[in-house]
Amino acid sequence: MDRLNQLAGQLSPSAKNSITSKNPDDVVIIAAYRTALTKGGKGGFKDVGSDWILTKFLEQFIAKSGVDPKLIEDVAVGNVLNRAAGASEHRGACLAAGLPDSSAFIAVNRQCSSGLMAIQDIANKIKVGEIDCGIGAGVESMSANYGPQSIPKVTEQLQENEQMAKCLIPMGITNENVAAKYNMKRPAQDEFAAKSYNKAEKAVSSGAFKDEILPIESQLAEEDDDDNVTWKKITVDTDEGPRKGVTAESLGKIRPAFKKDGVTSAGNASQVSDGAAAVLLTRRSFAEKHGLKIVGKYVNTVSVGVPPEIMGVGPAIAIPHLLKKTGITVDDVSVFEVNEAFAAQCLYSAEACKIPQEKLNLNGGAIALGHPLGATGARQYATILRLLKAGEIGLTSMCIGTGMGAASLVVKE
Amino acid sequence: MLSFRTTGYNGYGVTYSPFFDNKIAVATAANYGLVGNGKLYILNIEPNGTISNQISWESQDGLFDVSWSEAHENQCVVASGDGSVKLFDLKVGQFPVMNWKEHQREVFSVNWNLVDKSNFVTTSWDGTIKIWTPNRQESMLTLNPGEVDFTTKTSPVINTAKPPAPPMSHNQKNQPFNTANCIYNATFSPHSPSTLISCNGSSHLQIWDIRAPHPLQIDFVAHGGLEALSCDWNKYKSTIVASGGTDKSVRIWDLRMVSKLDQPMSNAPMPAYHMRGPTPLNQMLGHDFAIRKVLWSPHDSQELMSTSYDMTCRVWQDKSNERARFLNVGDGACKGVMRAHKEFTVGCDYSLWGEPGWAVSTGWDEMVYVWDSKRL
Repeated sequence: MDRLNQLAGQLSPSAKNSITSKNPDDVVIIAAYRTALTKGGKGGFKDVGSDWILTKFLEQFIAKSGVDPKLIEDVAVGNVLNRAAGASEHRGACLAAGLPDSSAFIAVNRQCSSGLMAIQDIANKIKVGEIDCGIGAGVESMSANYGPQSIPKVTEQLQENEQMAKCLIPMGITNENVAAKYNMKRPAQDEFAAKSYNKAEKAVSSGAFKDEILPIESQLAEEDDDDNVTWKKITVDTDEGPRKGVTAESLGKIRPAFKKDGVTSAGNASQVSDGAAAVLLTRRSFAEKHGLKIVGKYVNTVSVGVPPEIMGVGPAIAIPHLLKKTGITVDDVSVFEVNEAFAAQCLYSAEACKIPQEKLNLNGGAIALGHPLGATGARQYATILRLLKAGEIGLTSMCIGTGMGAASLVVKE
Repeated sequence: MLSFRTTGYNGYGVTYSPFFDNKIAVATAANYGLVGNGKLYILNIEPNGTISNQISWESQDGLFDVSWSEAHENQCVVASGDGSVKLFDLKVGQFPVMNWKEHQREVFSVNWNLVDKSNFVTTSWDGTIKIWTPNRQESMLTLNPGEVDFTTKTSPVINTAKPPAPPMSHNQKNQPFNTANCIYNATFSPHSPSTLISCNGSSHLQIWDIRAPHPLQIDFVAHGGLEALSCDWNKYKSTIVASGGTDKSVRIWDLRMVSKLDQPMSNAPMPAYHMRGPTPLNQMLGHDFAIRKVLWSPHDSQELMSTSYDMTCRVWQDKSNERARFLNVGDGACKGVMRAHKEFTVGCDYSLWGEPGWAVSTGWDEMVYVWDSKRL
């Protein structure tokens, strides 16, 4: 049978073998974990900042991965909403978490893909030999930083500029544009969203996330009647977003959020959340020398630009671009994690790329779990590495505000 | 064109004797090599233009390649699907005179050392390359490209009988079958007794020097991530090699233009060739399906031949050199297409002692054709 399979592979060739093969200079993944994702403004992380989440998470991450912190040469942390993408407080968080000051730090911000860009940054540095081992991470506290202060400031004379204006369109409106342009109907979106809720709820109740979530400590501020604040210590270990019993009908009753006659509602858009995720990357030869157990191989990441007013189509462009660059087809990929910024854009992207539903977001997506902007790219890695079997290829992708898409390929080992 | 039918057996490998101008060995397998017996034919081209079958042997599993001994005019060695390597003698009927069983999976190629003449190389889907000498019971050397430390494993048999235990992450036991580690072909350099080239299912072309403690000398991706199925040395230019693969292209490489493998140490970065690979010296396009064999002419430094699943043999002219890459002027690089085969064409060889350009080919249509590549 092997002989027949082999012949078939030679007659309709794919670069899958080359991607799954193991070379000493491969960039490999040693660990990929995340925090539970909590509700923005009212969840377990509502009273602490992104720096706290990152500190407590990295403490657990380093302990869990078992790597000697001295080996970590660089840490890239994706973040969207903090001032300067958290360049100062996240460096502080790394040191507070126990990383030595010899580990360098970089803050990365490419909007919703920041967590993935942090992984890519570390992976590329390993590939060209600048470093041997590093952490690509992402963290976001939408509780603390989401709001009017995150609206961009534009010089008065440029405010009328057509191109500039496109980059200032609220994300919900860009999704209305996608839905209108590609004729995505509300019922289909609600059904997609309900499925996301159902899958996520099932994953939470069955304990499917137990392996990827590191429980971390948080603090809740409790005010008494005299405005005296007492801090209460809690442990955050469960996703707060998923709910039981969500159906397309129940979501259908929610009013449109951005336009009177629109299709985008709070029920079929991603949730406002807090959380963090990280991936420990190194070179295969380095991992074997230091006895680090390899869980996956990082293959490639691409970013593409799309019109800002329909930024949700990003994955529909980025995914085929990545497949072409790596010489494989949709059929070679076993699991897809395409970020659900909005049901319409995710559904459109999946259909445009001909991704079968049974391979897409198997444990639910951002609609049910939440979308802590800067953390999502790294969160997808933590999730997909648990969904893949050894030797299978996984693909993560997301749309990016101001008109971009990113996609990334990983092999489970 | 002369022909011979290997009735009931589909052709895989074919080669002219280095001692007689009229003798041909053909390795075949029943049921297209998927399951069942194999058969080795020794054919004679008679003065009256017919082809006769001097002797033949049946084997338990399909035979995928054959190579004549360079030291003994009556002996040839075959690669078998059951992992064995067998040496046959024309004067000894029925059974092989030697039978080596060390490879764990299908042996896919065998090639005799043209310079040293005392040894030959086999490659297998078990991911190893083995060097043998006819008068020893065990292989002399095992090369394992999957190993990170790139050192050799030498006999005794306890080391070579099974592939060396791979380090943790290379453990592929729990993985579904994939061809990344299948080594399809290895060929000794006609310019050096210790240098050989190999190609594998993850697109890598590798140059080995078996004298060195770290024998892997050069390693690069040759066919853009798609499987590399065949490779051969130019018989006149010692640094020029050709390769063919499932990307349907024949590629010519000048090894001087590919960076040497830096220190393959865990603390030193290596060139990241495993995604795309370097640029070839020349590329021949024309085959409609994967290329199964490439072979340089023994008489012309610019001519080579290829076989493909598209049922053709093609003859190519490579005019490129280090100052003129991709030089395919006139009608392009293709000099001729041989279309006689009615099924996948797999094996081919140039006649060494006949007129330059004479060739033989075989394939899944159970046919062996002897033809003149100048008159296509």
